[in-house]
Amino acid sequence: MKKALILLGCPEAPSQTPMAVYSVYRLTSLGYDVTVASTPSAMKLLEISDPEEYYIKNKIDIESCLENLEEGSYDLLIGFVHKDAAVSYFVTFYHILNTTSLAVVFEKDHDLLASFVESISESTDANIVSARAYHNPTPLRVKFDRAIKKLGD
Amino acid sequence: MSFCLETYLQESENYEILLSRAGFKECKQVIEDNSKEVIHVKAGEKILGVRIIGVPPIAIGINEEKGTITLPYTKPCYGTSVVELPIAEEEINNIKALDIKE
Repeated sequence: MKKALILLGCPEAPSQTPMAVYSVYRLTSLGYDVTVASTPSAMKLLEISDPEEYYIKNKIDIESCLENLEEGSYDLLIGFVHKDAAVSYFVTFYHILNTTSLAVVFEKDHDLLASFVESISESTDANIVSARAYHNPTPLRVKFDRAIKKLGD
Repeated sequence: MSFCLETYLQESENYEILLSRAGFKECKQVIEDNSKEVIHVKAGEKILGVRIIGVPPIAIGINEEKGTITLPYTKPCYGTSVVELPIAEEEINNIKALDIKE
């Protein structure tokens, strides 16, 4: 079974948690064994959103995940990026894993959004989708679905 | 016993924060502007027991006279800080060996 890692950033953007649950659902339906790596606060939001672990079966602390990460540990990396620190984390995970990757970049501010996309595209060959989003996850969901379909083709 | 940066920053006061809660690019500039010698390493290299997080090439400052290194330190909710801390001479040599020599 193929393995996917979903990397979550700081959970202060409301779109992140529903998008995390949705992406686990989508990737699981495509046959992936999915693990979500996040901060303790982002993990708490997931635990409350999915109390019986119906969708999210595997969760890991982002720091422990990083310490033990090796090339080949996962077949697909999905990173949610809405802060400068999340760019750094995504790029670092990308370079360690050296696998198919998708950055899902979202921010309210147009300039910040553009700078996050630029940093990732300059330092990786990852696929990138981006949207001006904060509360409303729909633009991200639509672009995420398109990107996942493209990766599967 | 091996050195662990994470534990050191929690238990010691013998370090200096040159910049905090900043963007990675600003931190890289501060390291390059304030260090006698600068090496660059790959993202995810283990330095002082932790993986270095950032957009490569990641700048690490070295001051052999003071016996310190200056490095970026990133946390998901707090951004990146620049920390200068004293380290043993042999550790400086280990870190220099990671230079990707741009």
